[in-house]
Amino acid sequence: MADSPTPFERFVQGILPENPVYRQLLGLCPTLAVTNGMKPALTMACSVGFVLLCANIVISLIRNLLKPHLRIVIFTLTIATFVTIADRFLAAYFFQMSKTLGPYIPLIIVNCIIICRCEVCASKQGVVTAASDAIGQALGFGLALSSIAAVREILGTGMLFGIRVLPDAWPDWVIMVLPPGAFITLGLLLGCVNWIGILKARRSAK
Amino acid sequence: MRSFKESNLFQAWLVLLLATAFGAALAGIQTKLGPVIEANKTRETLAKIPALVLGEDPAAALASQKKSLSITLRTIEIERNGVKKFYTVYDAFFEDGTLAGYVAKASGQGYADKIELLLGLDTEGKTITGLFILDQKETPGLGNRIIEKPWRDQFLDQASATRLVVGKGNPGKANEIDAISGATISSRSVTGIVNNTITDIKAQLVIPPKEAAEKPAPPGNETGKIKENT
Amino acid sequence: MSDTTKTQEPMTPSGSTDERGAALIHVAPSPHIKDAAAHTQRIMTDVILALLPIIALSIYLFEVYAIKQLSICVVACMGSEFLFVKMRGKSLTLKDCSAVVTGIIIALSLPGSAPWFVGVLASVVAIGIGKIIFGGLGMNIFNPAMVGRAFVMIAFAQLLGAASYENVTGLVDAVSGATPLSALKFNGVSMETAALFWGMTNGSLGETSSAACLLGGLFLVFRKTASWQIPAGILLSVVLIAGITDIAGSHSGLLLVHHLFGGALMFGAFFIATDPVTSPLTPRGKWIFGLGTGFLIMIIRLFSGYPEGVMFAVLMMNAVTPLINRWTNPLPMGEA
Repeated sequence: MADSPTPFERFVQGILPENPVYRQLLGLCPTLAVTNGMKPALTMACSVGFVLLCANIVISLIRNLLKPHLRIVIFTLTIATFVTIADRFLAAYFFQMSKTLGPYIPLIIVNCIIICRCEVCASKQGVVTAASDAIGQALGFGLALSSIAAVREILGTGMLFGIRVLPDAWPDWVIMVLPPGAFITLGLLLGCVNWIGILKARRSAK
Repeated sequence: MRSFKESNLFQAWLVLLLATAFGAALAGIQTKLGPVIEANKTRETLAKIPALVLGEDPAAALASQKKSLSITLRTIEIERNGVKKFYTVYDAFFEDGTLAGYVAKASGQGYADKIELLLGLDTEGKTITGLFILDQKETPGLGNRIIEKPWRDQFLDQASATRLVVGKGNPGKANEIDAISGATISSRSVTGIVNNTITDIKAQLVIPPKEAAEKPAPPGNETGKIKENT
Repeated sequence: MSDTTKTQEPMTPSGSTDERGAALIHVAPSPHIKDAAAHTQRIMTDVILALLPIIALSIYLFEVYAIKQLSICVVACMGSEFLFVKMRGKSLTLKDCSAVVTGIIIALSLPGSAPWFVGVLASVVAIGIGKIIFGGLGMNIFNPAMVGRAFVMIAFAQLLGAASYENVTGLVDAVSGATPLSALKFNGVSMETAALFWGMTNGSLGETSSAACLLGGLFLVFRKTASWQIPAGILLSVVLIAGITDIAGSHSGLLLVHHLFGGALMFGAFFIATDPVTSPLTPRGKWIFGLGTGFLIMIIRLFSGYPEGVMFAVLMMNAVTPLINRWTNPLPMGEA
């Protein structure tokens, strides 16, 4: 981050090489809690993306005015505002989804991905870089959430987006849509990602 | 300029300004979306009421005739063991002002979390006309089968005078609800909530026909509008 | 010594050689014995021998169902052991027979009517998530067979819950009702003590007969393959709690007898809780482990939605085993 990164670099880095869930292990609370179906997972990813983008832009705009000791207060204030907006919006136009997600939308306030990106990127970079960083990270988060949700929803209910994809004879693994399934899936996928990383590193070393 | 930016006064103004701006934004959002959210909440309950009072097919028939029930809301307050409990009861009227039935909103502890349900009763409060689970967090695959129609339909036409019991293996027996296998606790919870609700509100539920005739719903009052009563 | 060092080596990601390999003292997980493979094999053969009466009885009672379930689980366990060990690039551990034992225990803890994928999935999870992920035999925190069973128990609650034992066609008449414990808990029906003890009841394949479990269990205890403190502790606290509940509810002994002989208690006490890897090392620790498991079994049986609690009780006590080991760590001579 020392010699200012290009917006494009920030965008690409967020998706896989610095994936918030698989690489930085941030934002695990929603990752575990709302990934029992694709719909809630994608709604959560979109909400986080919206809050992240808005917060990053605002923080980046006022970064030169802020004294360091005030920054966490301002971050929290900004994030809380946009989370409330997202929460109200969902309750007004996607009422069922808002009920399904329950407290996890308000809990975005304490999602460490957002505060981390504000601290690491937005408070030091220009608006364009901050915004592309936010979009990259949000895509990475969405990718991680939807990969976990896909595994859990297919194994747990035989469906994807609520549409039957496996034959009716498929016995639903109820455990996958329950909390233990979230831990097992996250652990196994994390293992796979690391394994691929090691393989890649070994190949490039040769 | 540099030194002013560093000063605490400037920082204080900055925070204040941001807070005001954010506050204004939130206030704007709330005034715009607040009513929509409220409408969503009431619509969720109100949309269920015709089917709960009349049964699914008559309710669908009613809707296809572009007719609707007019619904008034009241609160029944009872005291049990020194604790006050409140029930929300919806009185449903046909367009000509005759009473169609009552729907009570009730909740109680389930296996995992609170179960919230709507209970439909006929005009005399003697027969259960419908049951709908509004909110539950029971175990998927087991306890959450309380939301399934075949199981809920066991409550239909049960007399409210005797308490319902949860049994096993003899479906169709009067006053007996067949437990969902593997989810006896969830089945018992729902049955318990239904029993308690009926006992609690029985005395105050039925509006005497005379009184009911005195306050007919004004014609043209659509579903979705709620008049406070009591 | 050679085998112990070999199992320890690939703890770090393969490729990076561990320089501390040359150190003098190896900190290796239990079992601390000289010839690991041979010793493990002896333990496992003992366990298989002890399981024979239970297997025989389950085949007599449940016929094809038992044979089918046993062969599915054993084959699936050995297959997944082979596969996962290969994936980790370690030398094969099939010959220590631990996978066979895990397979038999899983099969015996399942209802005979469970479809084939239940046994397969339980075995794959037991070996993969329950054992190999932690580093193989000796490193696992939880009893692998119970991890696998817990997974399928939650995943297919409808197939494995109380209801799965009922309405099974093709079994002997005596064994097509609810299990004794769930019959007692949900319907208040009790059974004859003799039928409970000899195992002429319904239930998971291996849990029905207390007599067969006692026979095999005592063999294990005499061979010192299983420590006697753990079953003793479990039985003691179950008898105490069930006895008190019995007297308090005036069940005239029926409740006590059902809790002692009617469920998976005997099987769990002798074959599941005594797993040397996942239970404490010291005698005092074993007592604590046994008493705690018995206490949890009764809590789950009496107060939860499940009629049986052996599996979850053992898993919970497995989780506190490292803590018990630390509490009961004996002080070296001369200190304190």
